[in-house]
Amino acid sequence: MMNLQTLKSRRELLRSFGHLGIVGVSSTLYPGWMPRLVFSPRYQNNAPGQRDVLVAIFQRGGMDGLNAVIPFGEGSLYYDRRPTIAIPEPDGSALAAIDLDGHFGLHPALRPLKDVWDAGSLGLIHGAGSPDPTRSHFDAMEYMERGTPGDRSTAAGWINRHLLSAAWQNDSPFRAVGIGAMVQGSLRGMAPALALQSIADFHLQGRDDQLEAVSRTIAGLYNITAPADLLSAQASEVFDTVNLLSQMSNLDYTPAYGAAYPESAFGIGLQQVAQLIKADVGLEVAAVDIGGWDTHESQGGAEGEFASLLSDLGQGLAAFYTDMQDYMSGVTVVTMSEFGRRVDENASAGTDHGHGNVMMVMGGGITSGMYGRWVGLGSDVLDDSALAVTTDYRDVLSEILIKRLGNSAIDQVFPGYSMNPLNIFQAR
Amino acid sequence: MQQFSRRDMLKLTGLAALAASNVGWLAKVRAQEGISQGDPSWHVLSRVTWGPMAADVERIQEMGVEAYIDWQLSPETIPDPLVDEWLSKFDYLAGSAREIYNRAYEDDYVYTIVPWQRIYRAAYSERQLFELMVEFWTDHFNVPAGDNMGEKIVDDREVIRRHALGNFRDLLFASAQSPAMLYYLNNAESVAEHPNENYAREVMELHTLGVNGGYTEQDVRAVARALTGWTVADTANGAGSFYFDGSVHDYDEKHVLGHVLPSGRGIEDGLQVLDILATHPSTARFIAQKLVRRFVSDQPPQELIESAAATFLGSAGDIRETMRHILTSPQFAASQGQKFRRPIDFMVAMLRALRPGLEFGARPYLVWSLEDLGQLPYNWHPPNGFPDAAGAWLNTNGLLNRWNLALGFPYASEGWWDDISLDLNAIVPPAANALQLVGNAASAILGTAERLSRDDIELLTAFVADDGNPTTPLSQEARIDKLPTLVGLLLASPQFQWH
Repeated sequence: MMNLQTLKSRRELLRSFGHLGIVGVSSTLYPGWMPRLVFSPRYQNNAPGQRDVLVAIFQRGGMDGLNAVIPFGEGSLYYDRRPTIAIPEPDGSALAAIDLDGHFGLHPALRPLKDVWDAGSLGLIHGAGSPDPTRSHFDAMEYMERGTPGDRSTAAGWINRHLLSAAWQNDSPFRAVGIGAMVQGSLRGMAPALALQSIADFHLQGRDDQLEAVSRTIAGLYNITAPADLLSAQASEVFDTVNLLSQMSNLDYTPAYGAAYPESAFGIGLQQVAQLIKADVGLEVAAVDIGGWDTHESQGGAEGEFASLLSDLGQGLAAFYTDMQDYMSGVTVVTMSEFGRRVDENASAGTDHGHGNVMMVMGGGITSGMYGRWVGLGSDVLDDSALAVTTDYRDVLSEILIKRLGNSAIDQVFPGYSMNPLNIFQAR
Repeated sequence: MQQFSRRDMLKLTGLAALAASNVGWLAKVRAQEGISQGDPSWHVLSRVTWGPMAADVERIQEMGVEAYIDWQLSPETIPDPLVDEWLSKFDYLAGSAREIYNRAYEDDYVYTIVPWQRIYRAAYSERQLFELMVEFWTDHFNVPAGDNMGEKIVDDREVIRRHALGNFRDLLFASAQSPAMLYYLNNAESVAEHPNENYAREVMELHTLGVNGGYTEQDVRAVARALTGWTVADTANGAGSFYFDGSVHDYDEKHVLGHVLPSGRGIEDGLQVLDILATHPSTARFIAQKLVRRFVSDQPPQELIESAAATFLGSAGDIRETMRHILTSPQFAASQGQKFRRPIDFMVAMLRALRPGLEFGARPYLVWSLEDLGQLPYNWHPPNGFPDAAGAWLNTNGLLNRWNLALGFPYASEGWWDDISLDLNAIVPPAANALQLVGNAASAILGTAERLSRDDIELLTAFVADDGNPTTPLSQEARIDKLPTLVGLLLASPQFQWH
């Protein structure tokens, strides 16, 4: 049956064979009359050695962490509660867990990450999550992305507050990039953040002979040289962004070291983040989403729906790691999801909303290992039938902020929170 | 040949004055044809329709504002010939989910027809307010078409459209028994042994009480148990319809929001839960707040929320009366230009301003443009529906895509886009010079040139007039050359993004 993915390719066909002969595409459409748009060295203040670029990945829907990083060492406490979806103990076969430390194993679909683990660059924090007990997706996501669990009054996202509270300034429109049609909640706030779907398509389209006049007129209608409201400020960002992207020489991007990103929205998104980092346009933080984790039914075990999601995740992260080898000492990737899922599988061979989950961190400043406090799956330690949260997700993020991003204003990024460092990261 | 009217002469006189005093001409060009900026009927049209067309302006001025609102609140009395004709071409949309799926196997076009019908009906239906209510409830009871495309078409027809201006209780019950919803939020698989809480949670958080509406995790579990066995029957012809499967229902006693559901009952458990939710004061406030946010302001006035909630409660959930209260309130009248057009609002307002002919092959361009703008109809995956407030849509990527659509679409007049026909000269009357052309185009797209500042008019006339002089006679060739982009610039302007 057709699905939206196939429709997408039909659209691409439409574009290739449609009206491209008429719709002009100019790489120099930014009008030269606007002096502020010269490619400025102030954008390039993210030179290696100063601070990491942060890539924050949000797994929307609530990942089943217990089947991603499997606590096979729990024995029947795990296997009896998941009669059809459990991942077999490591035995070297392709459909069994991949042993990490004798107690935990990676889902076989995450095999590409085993190389990153072996290279010493993958940290796994089990039992991590938000201290707030809500099992509403929307509340849990908002709390997590705002960084103030339980407090609805916080308007901005935690990454945005990080940018505002940082000691340095950076006027690049690429300082904070959310891959997608809209920026993620973590990026919303007073510090401008850019929503970016596609580097190659990010330009004004129209008649070649009119592009300069059209640019000038729109810039004037929105009064972009003196933006008076949010809309004209956004318009100003559009012009800055178009200008900078048009100057990126490597629009036809070839990943390094043969890295192969999956051809998914997630894979393409990560590849564009890699491209921006290499182009040195001032990127400090990028947010990338990967959805579909709300596996209430037929989630499958070593194969199936959940395995495909993990495969996209694992291949994407591993491709990024390979592609970014020469930059990885200055990059930190972190994954999170609004909550984990219950230990018991449900009647639909899926899992319902739970609490504690596994977070992953990847980068040059990490020592591979299992982190956090694992209390097991005994019914006495479960939180409402789910793995308990024993590590506040902000413990991971604040350590990144301090040790890798050079921002110790944790009280401003995470107001009302007190830190418990896990010592996952080396200080830069 | 161009006829000069007295008004044109006034403008030219004004321009002469500009040369001398640098003031005056602007007021003249702004005061030309169109609906005056302060006219309340423009505000009503810009919120009660998907974008005012010239015919709407005539009608509201003929009927008066209140009668116009009454008329739009009675869609069953409004003939809808264009939509009827459109629907007659796609008769399978009136069929069961199974018939729709069978058709989908034969003809993959059916997949673009789902979002396409949303765009077409919004743009061309005479029942404009009704279509806005359909949009509101489609978001409120969101079911993405993805895996449940056939069921969603049935849900759109039998749940959303049947009750969009009817009674909220009926709407809620219909949604709770809609196969699209039962599949999407997993109640179809919820059984006593393993109740699935997905629907139970969202029906309170998103459909009725609101997240602060006073329910607990215990309530979520009890509601899930009460609704066990609410599922979809695979009937003989496989059509799929609501079915209560008593064999998997939880018959134990339950406690929901302070009510005791006695043991031993079947479907009555779920029916009582829905009744409790439909008539709960938190529901009235939550629905009122959402309606006021959609139709009045992103900062919904508290007073209006309270009075609309009272109307909702007092009328036992009558959506029509609640809407009448909101649309005739002083807070509504005072909210001019406060709502940012969401992507689909923007596209449909553009279509209504330009009134193009749209044939079958027009689908891909419009549907995929909406996807680029982040609002492909029936494609919002979480159950909370597309966001309403401006903050969610005001972003760099969305704005650039809007500009590109605005600048590209008017070239339908030059045959750029398959199956879209457009006669811009019928929309923007010919003009003798750049200044007149800008005035005519602004009246057509923004209702009146009064919405443009003096700087805006200077920028736009400079775009049209090659020599920079707004009053140099404009050749027909130059006018035809510049008109599509001029229209595009007005559609891309900040003024067109708000309503």
